[in-house]
Amino acid sequence: MNRNFILKKDHLQPLLRKLSKTHRLVAPVRNDFGDTLFTEITRLDSAVIDLQNQPQSSLKSFFFPQQETLCSYIVDKKLNKGKMEYSFHARLPENAPTVFFGVRSCDMFAVMYTDMIFLHQHERDIYYEQRRDSSIFISIGCNRPFANCFCNATRSGPFLDGGFDLQLTDLGDRWFVETGRPRGVRLTEEWPGFFTPVSEDDKRKQFQAELEARGLFRKLVHVDLAVKLLAESEPPERIIEELSRRCQDCGGCAYICPTCTCFNISDLALNEDSGERIRSWDACTFSGFTLMAGNHNPVNAASERIRKRFLHKLRHDVEKHGRPSCVGCGRCVEMCFGGVDIVRFIDMLTAAGENGLQGEK
Amino acid sequence: MMRNYNSRQTAKPGKKPVPLFADRNAYLPLRAIIKDIVEENELVKTFAVVFEDEIYNTNFTYLPGQFLMLSMPHCGEAPISFSSSPSRPGSFSLTIRKAGKLTSAVHELQPGDMIGVRGPYGKPFPFEEMRRHDLLFVAGGIGMAPLRSVIEFCLDYRADYGDIKVLYGCKTPADFCFRQDLEKWAGEGLITTRFTVDAACEEWNGCVGLVTDLLDDVTISAGSVKALVCGPGVMIRFVAERLLRSGLPAGDIITTLERHMKCGIGVCGHCHYDSRMICTDGPVFTVSQLPDLESL
Repeated sequence: MNRNFILKKDHLQPLLRKLSKTHRLVAPVRNDFGDTLFTEITRLDSAVIDLQNQPQSSLKSFFFPQQETLCSYIVDKKLNKGKMEYSFHARLPENAPTVFFGVRSCDMFAVMYTDMIFLHQHERDIYYEQRRDSSIFISIGCNRPFANCFCNATRSGPFLDGGFDLQLTDLGDRWFVETGRPRGVRLTEEWPGFFTPVSEDDKRKQFQAELEARGLFRKLVHVDLAVKLLAESEPPERIIEELSRRCQDCGGCAYICPTCTCFNISDLALNEDSGERIRSWDACTFSGFTLMAGNHNPVNAASERIRKRFLHKLRHDVEKHGRPSCVGCGRCVEMCFGGVDIVRFIDMLTAAGENGLQGEK
Repeated sequence: MMRNYNSRQTAKPGKKPVPLFADRNAYLPLRAIIKDIVEENELVKTFAVVFEDEIYNTNFTYLPGQFLMLSMPHCGEAPISFSSSPSRPGSFSLTIRKAGKLTSAVHELQPGDMIGVRGPYGKPFPFEEMRRHDLLFVAGGIGMAPLRSVIEFCLDYRADYGDIKVLYGCKTPADFCFRQDLEKWAGEGLITTRFTVDAACEEWNGCVGLVTDLLDDVTISAGSVKALVCGPGVMIRFVAERLLRSGLPAGDIITTLERHMKCGIGVCGHCHYDSRMICTDGPVFTVSQLPDLESL
């Protein structure tokens, strides 16, 4: 059972200061260029925590960095009677207890998805686990969705029922607090001075805010219909081809996407005798993504490159995990200069679907 | 129940077996040593490999059809299937064709040199379903490597299987791998073999034509035979289509696919094939599991 509290807005800064004594603090911070990004806060007094704009980045890179060293390796050709010796040394990341503050529902939901990918499949990913292990999430429900948001259609917002440690709702002069996972409950117990009881009026207001938020989405995206159409038949080749041609191979959509987790592993030689094994973000839209030794490529990049991206989100993950893996954050809409975002795909698909996909080739 | 093919070999007395998968780092390779190298042909070598850790080596096992990720200095990793059978423990074999940067570096290795390996990964051939059936192996070029593992395995449990027939096609006579092994087993009456090359040449007095042509002389009795097919994608497609036309159900045609891979554990995304990952859902599939034969 979720417990509810009130946190006065004046008390937020002091609470974060207390937490930052024992935890690394990460929040959406507006930088000198006017960009709002999730950033580690080292000086709370001078950091501009921006809760008015959608953070341009998600939390993905904090658990699954754009580039990380998995291990270093050493080669020695002389040591053992001229035989090559080859050894590997794991480079595990530091486990730093972190409070993530100001996480929007879509991004919170995305963390739950990446947990499933990295922790609950065939093998546990200890690099991800190490970074993810001692995190506390203080999320914020969205009273007013941002311009490209459609989390209502993907059922990953604007408010969540779980997954967070604490979820906040803006009630004007105060935050309405809901506890989620045990760490959130513990947090309210450790700092009882900050968390005061709620009144019936607060509860009503919170309910009202949540209800109103659902009516404020500016984009109507037919995610369920797209999922249904894709479960029944193949997407029209015309759409796949047109969007594939418009794709410029930049990978921006995958990098900005909070649930895209494809990666590359490659060796970076430091000198003749040593190097590092690097894991870095990759994108299924890249033309070399499926290229094999001997130059055989089972995927035709020119006409097919976007097929995997959209089918993975809207069909394959539905088959595998019971729901689409798009969280409706809308970041790819802003990111793609070719207009090859998931909303465009869903719009084209559902428009074609009105006449029945079967007839179209 | 699966027969106890997968049981670990008993460790030497006095040495406690180490748990193989206890809290391990899935991405960290283990050190292994090249014991022996056989040159199959100009482009293909078979490497016999042992783990440096003797206890691990004694306990290590796998099944035909599975693969491992092979590390080479400065080259990263590549998926390589086992070409030996786990029924002959002590070491395992990797048969590698010189095709790119990593495999070219592997070809430079000498006995005693070290490589990095992690695995085994992937789903093996369905031995439980193959038992009590005739087996028809159809291989093209280097595609013989994973099938050799199966053949050797089946020979070690010979009574479990009916007739074993091996059809093997290559571009030229110089491209065959394991031909001595195959001919030796044929000589002992354990299997029957047919070889073919794509084009006629002086040093070849055998069959000429595609491996599908060899199927013309084979009687397929649906229900009692399982076909195991491996080779280039287009060869798999034509053999599978030919077998389907002969009345063999798609579920009885088994193949193993190749893809670019980075992790081997179903996460990195590179080996996607429709909704599946070749590394964890495969690499062994029946034709009935494949969405189509065109995109192999």
